[in-house]
Amino acid sequence: MNDVEAVLSRGQQVSLVLLRTLVGWHFLYEGYFKLLRPAWSRDGAPLAAWTSAGYLHAANGPFAAFLHRLADSAWIGRVDTLVAAGLILVGLSLTLGLFTRAGCAGALALLALFYLSQIPTAGVPQPQTEGAYLFVNKNLIEAAAVLVLLTFRTGRIAGLDRLRHEPRARVAPAQEAAS
Amino acid sequence: MNLTPEQQELGRRNFLKALAGTPALAALAVGAAMKGPVKGGPVRVGYIGIGGQGRVLLEQTDPAYADVLALCDINPLSLAKADDVLQKRGLHPARHYTEWKDMLEKENLEAVIMAPPLWMHADLASGCLEAGKHVLCEKMMAWDYPGCERMRDTARKTGKILEIGYQRNYNPLYQAAHEGIVKAGQLGDVYHSRIVWHRNGTWRRKGEPPSPDYDPSRWGYPDYDHLINWRLYWRYSRGLHAELASHQVNIANWFFGAEPEAVVSSGGVYRFPEGGREVPDHVYTIFEYPHGRTAVFTSIESNAYDHYYEAFYGTKATLILRGETEAYLFDEGGGARPTTVDVAPKGSGPALDASESRSAEAAGSFSGGASEKVDRTAAYRLEVSGFCSAIRTGKPLACGPDRAIGSAKACIRAAEAVEKKTTRLSV
Repeated sequence: MNDVEAVLSRGQQVSLVLLRTLVGWHFLYEGYFKLLRPAWSRDGAPLAAWTSAGYLHAANGPFAAFLHRLADSAWIGRVDTLVAAGLILVGLSLTLGLFTRAGCAGALALLALFYLSQIPTAGVPQPQTEGAYLFVNKNLIEAAAVLVLLTFRTGRIAGLDRLRHEPRARVAPAQEAAS
Repeated sequence: MNLTPEQQELGRRNFLKALAGTPALAALAVGAAMKGPVKGGPVRVGYIGIGGQGRVLLEQTDPAYADVLALCDINPLSLAKADDVLQKRGLHPARHYTEWKDMLEKENLEAVIMAPPLWMHADLASGCLEAGKHVLCEKMMAWDYPGCERMRDTARKTGKILEIGYQRNYNPLYQAAHEGIVKAGQLGDVYHSRIVWHRNGTWRRKGEPPSPDYDPSRWGYPDYDHLINWRLYWRYSRGLHAELASHQVNIANWFFGAEPEAVVSSGGVYRFPEGGREVPDHVYTIFEYPHGRTAVFTSIESNAYDHYYEAFYGTKATLILRGETEAYLFDEGGGARPTTVDVAPKGSGPALDASESRSAEAAGSFSGGASEKVDRTAAYRLEVSGFCSAIRTGKPLACGPDRAIGSAKACIRAAEAVEKKTTRLSV
């Protein structure tokens, strides 16, 4: 039993790992789907190629001017690739519990960027979004969830990080269980 | 088929009323076997045979679905006209080829859309399938039945998609009629269908060759007239049965859920014998289906009063589909419910929504006014897009070889009966 497992109940551990896996899958599939495009939908219709330019053009936060310039720059293609790759790396990290703290940090950085790009100040539903938000939106809530994961080192409860930190646990499970 | 305005209004309302409760048609085509999301951009296509019909398909090719890379035709004038189509639509130019094998060898194509003269269908389609290309081949399937079988078997062997271009299968009006009326049993028992295509004028086309020394003989056409009027000669064509009847027999097969067992045919070159025309300008054929059902086809080139339609006469009601754009239903009894149908773009293409909650007045606007009249050319667009969707995502074809071969076989036999002056032939 490691230090994390020692202080958390079984239910708390399962909840935290479940939360980490779900957040990880969310990042992983978002990144995969962005890299997949151009692609076709299940009903047989082509999907337009994805670019972050539209999102950046709509930026309204403190970095709005910079993001607007970035959207129109020749760098936008690389930005798209970086965002998709970042989402996939973070998603893999959190899903597998590998380098979990780095993954959480990356997730926080991305979510902070997304939140600060479009801070919900209107308080009424916006085009192409569901629900009405004022200051708090799903990006911010997911960031708070990642903060929880970062605090609890869930990779050492269940994940490949456990093998990195406790390699002997693989060969002596009975001994660990006895302790 | 001519109807008074009152009859049209009544028949239109009845049709709309009968469709109430029919599920959104866009959903009908979504098969369980479809994959998604699937990586890939527009399907890379080349065209073979870019004459009049080829250009109709080119005009309706959605660039989101298909990227036209190359055009192949033995007639330089057709290639030039196809270039105009691409230019007018704001699409990038396509490379030109005279020989289809060159095109397949030099271009990185995934699929071929072809509309060459009928006699070339089997060789070209099978050759393209063998080369690993998916094929959308304009109807009729092939000039003879062995050619049809070769196309179907090659598609099976290679695992490539083969679609035959019967655009009515993609027309929301026909889909609605089949799902909401025929399949729902609203016609009762149907013993008789009348399929009609009447025109007034010669089929012969006039045109100057692309250059004085243009010689199409190496492609099997002794002169330019035989190339542009291939429909008029038995070597290349099956006449009115292939070019017109096969569309309508394909619908009769679909609606009857069966294929003809025999044909009774008559016809001849009565009005336009000049110029060595071989295929009849008037044909009359009874297609005999199992269980005493018949489809009677007439096609004449001396009167256009009836124009073209498919009519199904059931024990409970009569369904008339006219000009690919209008639908009418006449009860043997009567009665009406308020309803309407909207034809509007939905998802990837037009769909019909039927609702019992709307007013009968709204229903009357189906063929004009607030609700759009069915756009006949939209069916071609859906056909090409559907072919591309089938390639990318496995979306089921509306008219694959197994469906198309039935109408082809019957029409080939009907043409043979006329040509050989044989009254009745088994299919």
